[in-house]
Parts: sequence; C-alpha cells; structure tokens
Amino acid sequence: MSTPMKFLIVDDFSTMRRIVRNLLKEIGHADADEAEDGAIALGKLKAGAFNFVVTDINMPNMNGFELLAAIKADEKLKHLPVLMVTAEARKEDIVLAAQNGAAGYIVKPFTKATLEEKLANIFKKLGL
Amino acid sequence: MNHTPDTPDSQAANPDMFRKLGAITRQLHDALKELGYADKLQGTVEQLPDAQSRLSYIARLTGEAAEKVLSQVEEGKKEQEQLAQRGRELADTIRRVPALAKAMPELLEWSTDVVALAEKTDARLTEIMMAQDFHDLTGQVIARVVGLAGTIEEQLLGLLLESVPTGQPGQDKAHELAGPVVNAEGRTDVVTDQKQVDDLLASLGF
Repeated sequence: MSTPMKFLIVDDFSTMRRIVRNLLKEIGHADADEAEDGAIALGKLKAGAFNFVVTDINMPNMNGFELLAAIKADEKLKHLPVLMVTAEARKEDIVLAAQNGAAGYIVKPFTKATLEEKLANIFKKLGL
Repeated sequence: MNHTPDTPDSQAANPDMFRKLGAITRQLHDALKELGYADKLQGTVEQLPDAQSRLSYIARLTGEAAEKVLSQVEEGKKEQEQLAQRGRELADTIRRVPALAKAMPELLEWSTDVVALAEKTDARLTEIMMAQDFHDLTGQVIARVVGLAGTIEEQLLGLLLESVPTGQPGQDKAHELAGPVVNAEGRTDVVTDQKQVDDLLASLGF
C-alpha cells in the first residue's frame, strides 16, 4: 500500500466495530472511524474523506444494503469500495450484495486471515 | 425495499380464508375460555415482558463482558509488542557485543525465544479477540427472540381482549433479513462458511 487509507467501520455492535478496528490496525490500516448504523455512516462519508467502507448488513435505521445503495447512488461516494461483513448467510443476500456493487462479502464469524485476504483481493482488483 | 402490507384488496381476494381465520380465532378464544385457560393465558402474557427483560439482561451482560475482554486484550497486545521489541533489542545488543555471547552463550537463544513467545502470545490474543464476536452473533439472535416474544405478547393480548385480529400488525418486508443461521443442517438457501461465499460469488463472475 503506497498511500494510507481511511476506513469507516459500520456495525451496530460496538464489540464488532472494535474487533474490526483492531484487525485493520494489525493488518496495517490504523486510520479508521466508526458508525453504528447506515444513516450515521452516510453522514460521516459525506462529511469526511474515506477510502474504504466495511459494513454490517443487519442494523437499525439504515441497514447495510440501504447504505450500499446510497453510496452507489451518490456521485461523490460511488467509487468507494464497500466490504460487507455480516452474519447474513443466505445466498440471496450474497447475490444481492454483489449485484448492488459490494466489493466483497465476509460471513461472521470470520478470521483475521479472511479479512486480510479479502482486502488484498479488493486492493488488487481496484489497483490500490 | 418494503412492499405494501396486506391490504383490504388482498383480503377481498381471499374472503373465504380470512372468514375461516376469523372463525378459528373465535373458536380458539371460546375454547380457552370454556376450558379455563384464559387465566393461564393471562399469566403467560404477564410473564413475557419478564422473559424479554431477562434476555435483554443477558445480552447486556455478555456485551459488557466482551468489551472488558477486548480492553484486556488490547492492553495485553501492547505489552506483548513491547516485550517483543525489547527481545529484539537485546538480541541485537548481544550480536554487537561478542563478549556478552561468549560469557553466556544461551543469552542470544533466550532473547530470540522471548521474541518468538511474545509473537505467539500476540497471535493467541488475536484469537481471543476474534472469539468476542459471539456477542454480535448471540446478540442478534437474542434481539430476534425478544422481538418475537413481543409479537406473541401482543397477539395473545389481542386474543384476551376478544378482538379478532385482521391482517395483524408488523411490517411485511419484501426482503426481510434473516440474521445469523442458528441451524444450517439440511438447508440449501444459506452458506455455512466463507469458502461457500467465495464459490457463490465466483460462479456469478464476481
């Protein structure tokens, strides 16, 4: 990674936000902020300069699918890679996420190696 | 993603079904009354909020416990990093000062062991940290059960109040999220590990 990236971690469970934040730090991405649902995340994305979104799906107010749709519908945000990290394990959800522009999909529970691998794949694909 | 809930139109399309449902509900209510189960039903209704609050209590306590573990893990990881760093510095010093290695040959081995063990412990701490995701997964299941108990309570109350539910409350969603899979055995509509996710996405060209 040539330039440092700023991540936004979106999950309604503070435990999971903290786990993802620590993992990202271990992988080499210490610059991260958190949001507890899609609506708060969207506000932060519009206000700040983020390079990557890691989001849960099942959240109150605005869920991960709605956040993904809002990001992809926004001219200024649609370039952002969105990695879904979720307990939603139905195939239709995975397909829906891919069709709506998610950069990757990880099912919980997951490992550090899985997160590292998916991020590397996305970076490679996007030439980051 | 919501679609229109059951409307009078949809009821009109199935008048027989709704009439039968109404009749069944009335019969059930009458039977409960005649058999003296109404009191028991009332008891159940009264116990449901208690069950909900107990479950919420479990979710809160396990959440707090997970946060405490995470705090300890984060501190532990910082200390392990310091330990590994000191070990690396000690090994460098021993390599730079031959007299030290000569006076005590095992010193270099010990210092490299310290580094290796600190890194191993750090990896274990990462595993402990990852295990705290149980709070997210069980928390989602508990939230669903609490929600379900609320719905049951509402419906039982309706029954007790002799009201016939017609197209009952609750938003009908076109794409309702399922939450964590509690039992995937025999199911083909869900994935059970990350490999299946990757295979599915690959089969779709992603």
